[in-house]
Amino acid sequence: MLVLSRRLGESIVIGNEIVVRIVDVRGDQVRLGIEAPRDVQIHREEVFLELQQENESAAGASARTQGRVADLPRPAGGAAPGQRPARPMRPLPKRRED
Amino acid sequence: MSDDTVVDGPVLEFTDGIPGFAGSHHFVLTDLTEDGVFQLLASLEDPALSLVVTVPWLFFPDYDLELPEHDRRSLAIESPEDVVVYCSVIAEEVSDGLYLNLRAPFVANPHTLAARQVILDDEDLPLRARFGGEA
Repeated sequence: MLVLSRRLGESIVIGNEIVVRIVDVRGDQVRLGIEAPRDVQIHREEVFLELQQENESAAGASARTQGRVADLPRPAGGAAPGQRPARPMRPLPKRRED
Repeated sequence: MSDDTVVDGPVLEFTDGIPGFAGSHHFVLTDLTEDGVFQLLASLEDPALSLVVTVPWLFFPDYDLELPEHDRRSLAIESPEDVVVYCSVIAEEVSDGLYLNLRAPFVANPHTLAARQVILDDEDLPLRARFGGEA
């Protein structure tokens, strides 16, 4: 891990476009301002790690989940008995529509 | 991605992958159940990686998804209706329950097929929301 010291108001640049600035320091709490291209997602680390773990769990449980949803009584989503539920969403194109 | 790849459904493109699987950029979406209620997102880069998904409103009609502005712009989503949303499903081993990840849905632009897993701002939304009815 790269460790740098910064004072209030100072910044660091990551790559060519991401800027992290020390906006406020109060006691042991530091407020960071971040400028990044819109494609870059930014989250508190603990939130990210929580999701990472959940994705790994869901992926690891994929086979079990596939079996379990196949056993779910039909219909789902409130359709009347005997009625095929409407498709949840219009079909996506197979390829991107340029 | 080579155009020779034969796939069974639309391929969603995740620029940065998803948390835990940063190297998986392309996921093909196929039906799991005949009625299309449950689908499978299968990674093209990692054959071992797949996630069961469903449309959250089928089980949580009041699910209020507020797509953060930067995610909306990144995916070039013009209007709130013009978006595709799936939530990942997990079957728990011990509790025997089925759960949806309402906190971090997969959101895609239906025209470009650009997608990302969005972490919603509402911290009250659960990573695991039970559905399917209790015994």
